[in-house]
Amino acid sequence: MEAAVFQPFLDSIQKELQAQDPAVLAVLVALVVVIISIIFMKIVWGRKTTRSAVLLVGLCDSGKTLIFSRLLSGKFKKTQTSITDSSTIYSVKREKGCGFTLIDLPGHESLRPQFVERFKSAARAVVFVVDSAVFQKELRDVAEFLYSLLTDAEIVKNAPALVVTCNKQDITMAKSAKVIQQQLEKELNTLRVTRSAALSTQDGSTAGGTVYLGKKGKDFEFSQLPMKVEFVECSAKGYKAEDGEADIEQLEKCLARIS
Amino acid sequence: MLDFFTIFSKGGLVLWCFQGVNGSFTGPVNALIRSVILQERSGSNLFIHDALSMKYKLDNEFELVFVVGFQKILTLTYVDKFLDDVQLRFRDRYKNQLEQKGAMKLLNGSFQFQDDFQQLLREAEESTKACAPAPMKTFMQSQKSQKTVKSMIETRGGEKGKEKESNKKSKNAKKEASAAEGDGDSTRGGTQSGLPKKSSPKPQENGNEGLTPEEIKRNQQEFFRRMGGGAKKPSSSSSSKSPKPEKLQRVKGNREWVMGGTNTKELDYSNKDMNGSQDTLPATKDNAEDLKQLGQMKGDLRSVDYESSEEEEEDEEVVVSAAAAANPSKSSSKSFRGVFGMLKGLVGSKSLSQEDMEPVLDKLRDHLIAKNVAADIASKLCESVAKKLEGKVMGTFTTVTSTVKQALQDSLVQILQPKRRVDILRDVMEARAQRRPFVVTFCGVNGVGKSTNLAKISFWLIENGFSVLIAACDTFRAGAVEQLRTHQRRLNSMHPPEENGGRPRVQLYEKGYGKDAAGIAMEAIAYARSHSFDVVLVDTAGRMQDNAPLMVALAKLIAVNMPDLVLFVGEALVGNEAVDQLVKFNQALADHSMSDKPRIIDGIVLTKFDTIDDKVGAAISMTYITGQPIVFVGTGQTYSDLRSLNARAVVSALMKA
Repeated sequence: MEAAVFQPFLDSIQKELQAQDPAVLAVLVALVVVIISIIFMKIVWGRKTTRSAVLLVGLCDSGKTLIFSRLLSGKFKKTQTSITDSSTIYSVKREKGCGFTLIDLPGHESLRPQFVERFKSAARAVVFVVDSAVFQKELRDVAEFLYSLLTDAEIVKNAPALVVTCNKQDITMAKSAKVIQQQLEKELNTLRVTRSAALSTQDGSTAGGTVYLGKKGKDFEFSQLPMKVEFVECSAKGYKAEDGEADIEQLEKCLARIS
Repeated sequence: MLDFFTIFSKGGLVLWCFQGVNGSFTGPVNALIRSVILQERSGSNLFIHDALSMKYKLDNEFELVFVVGFQKILTLTYVDKFLDDVQLRFRDRYKNQLEQKGAMKLLNGSFQFQDDFQQLLREAEESTKACAPAPMKTFMQSQKSQKTVKSMIETRGGEKGKEKESNKKSKNAKKEASAAEGDGDSTRGGTQSGLPKKSSPKPQENGNEGLTPEEIKRNQQEFFRRMGGGAKKPSSSSSSKSPKPEKLQRVKGNREWVMGGTNTKELDYSNKDMNGSQDTLPATKDNAEDLKQLGQMKGDLRSVDYESSEEEEEDEEVVVSAAAAANPSKSSSKSFRGVFGMLKGLVGSKSLSQEDMEPVLDKLRDHLIAKNVAADIASKLCESVAKKLEGKVMGTFTTVTSTVKQALQDSLVQILQPKRRVDILRDVMEARAQRRPFVVTFCGVNGVGKSTNLAKISFWLIENGFSVLIAACDTFRAGAVEQLRTHQRRLNSMHPPEENGGRPRVQLYEKGYGKDAAGIAMEAIAYARSHSFDVVLVDTAGRMQDNAPLMVALAKLIAVNMPDLVLFVGEALVGNEAVDQLVKFNQALADHSMSDKPRIIDGIVLTKFDTIDDKVGAAISMTYITGQPIVFVGTGQTYSDLRSLNARAVVSALMKA
């Protein structure tokens, strides 16, 4: 029955085509071009939304900009507090092929949320830089930032790989990656309790994300997260003088594995 | 003479630096960035940190910051012009490298700017030495000698005019004499020759301004007459103006009140058994509404909700072509050239200048003031946004209005974001682990809602399982202690002590009226520590910020007891007063504490938020002045009307038309 409905249309189109009327032909060609270009743009934009960025995040003064400089050029540069983000294409050493965009976000508390908001959808991996020397004092701030990252709905959906980089290992009082991991797990456990008690009773929008970290009833561990989490140690400044080599081997290996 | 000079990108990489003295300058420059640029105080470009004063300049086209630092005690006049020169030279020289998007060129490029810098510095220093201080003008050259004396007289009364005239003339005489003599020695007790009133100059340097004793006596008599007559003058004038009606002779009799009695016993409505030591109310009908709220405040506070029209704001840039279509309707009344010029302004890259932004910023400033932001804060914000955008290159299809609006919105969100972690529950847990009570002090002016919000916060805390001690340090206002006791009873009736192992969740520590507040607070904290309470909430009396003795008393309470959190309670209805209140409170707390690290206001409680619909500017004023976060928002008078601040919602409400 539908064929019967379409039949007269098809007949009329065929007749027009055979008539070789330029106006009708022009209209048809234009339609075809529009359709093709729409499809093309969809493909292009669709490709753009594939995530290809690695974000460098962390608290203020944790060494993100220096790591950024070391990864890209190997040089030591003096740095100040960043006000905006810096981004550039990074290609993994000794390996051709897919590079990704390395983005260094400011860590200052008043800028952090809006920059993370802007770039989180494009993240393929997140490098979370921690200052190992003053970690004990800043533990709660670090844990809160990490908690807000891990409970963000979009990040949970995309599940980018998380590399927690314990920076400033050249300072003697620096904590090791193992210790930092244990302390963060304990702290996130406590934060879970204070933040997620709201989830069961309230139905309005809560302050944090609406995701529960890890498994209920069990202590929080990083292995319970849907994303891959790694802890590495590095020292962006290097163990020798200022112009010496930086010890970022582990970090580079991690990044190579990701791409 | 300069201590240091740095050029760094906004992303944080130092491109070039000059160090005149040993010692790192990263600390001071970071302090500059954090307190000025990030807190939107870039209106004035001078910043003083310890003994160092720093001037800076933002280059928004290439995203660079130029900072120069020198000792505070030096006054160098060439610094501003020097900064401009250096900026221009640096841009010209490295334009190619700087124009690239992406940080690779910045990282790889080496900026050998040393020679240029030294040359510019030498030029700047020489230019200051070159211009000698200008010689003083003589009196005849000045404008004042051109004026006639008559023009300077304000004729308010014949006598006054003549007196002023004589004064002016003698002043002229004095000036001329001194100018003529240079720095001559003052002749004391000059000649007392009768100086005629309108004559010219004879050097009289004594303190009588050249008047003879007779004249002085005459002036004095006139003065006394006028003073004596002055009192009579108003009445006489009024009597001359209108005939006063005769006073009605009438004896006032006592007014008879219908309900009133001479017996005061009838007026005593107090319930005799309320003064007993009952800690909890029985669960009667009156508590029914309270019981409905039970269990609603568990966990973190909900944030203030707004119908978020923020999607409209973000789509503004994308849909600006529609706005461009709307704009021609305005300019169609102008000439054809106007339309063409405006269209040309849309397409292509144009860098923003001060004149372009001026009208937009004025409109935005008025809009902010209409939304209850304090006036000078609105102007400082607009100046800072102008500094941030000056020289920036706009993309295609963006108007000046949209760029400036977006920048203002970003800076408002930035101001409202807390600069430190705000998680009271976590801090209370930490204090509990250390076996000490977490002390919170509420201060503020009269009538802002300290006691009400204290009760709300204690409800929130006991819903989350902590035990609370309320310290009634308001020993002045009548009924303050009873108010807190009523709150305590209601709260305990909602969470009966049987839940807590026989101990009531909320207890009140009070010592009546008229006692010293700081002493009561200290005793309350000691009591809490010995009976292991988790939180102590200290309620203080409301006080005006100008009342010096009360401010000293508050500072003493805070300095002596060292609370963990000092919260300033401010109402959202306040307008320009907010600035004055906060500045004076902070100043009093800083001045009157004996230690070198005084406790100042740590957080703000914004109350009566439900009374304003979208005139939410008070939030901006308060956070801008103190730099401290808004910890709680009070949205009503029941126990569950406590929220946390949602920065984006507040800013979108503020920028709504």
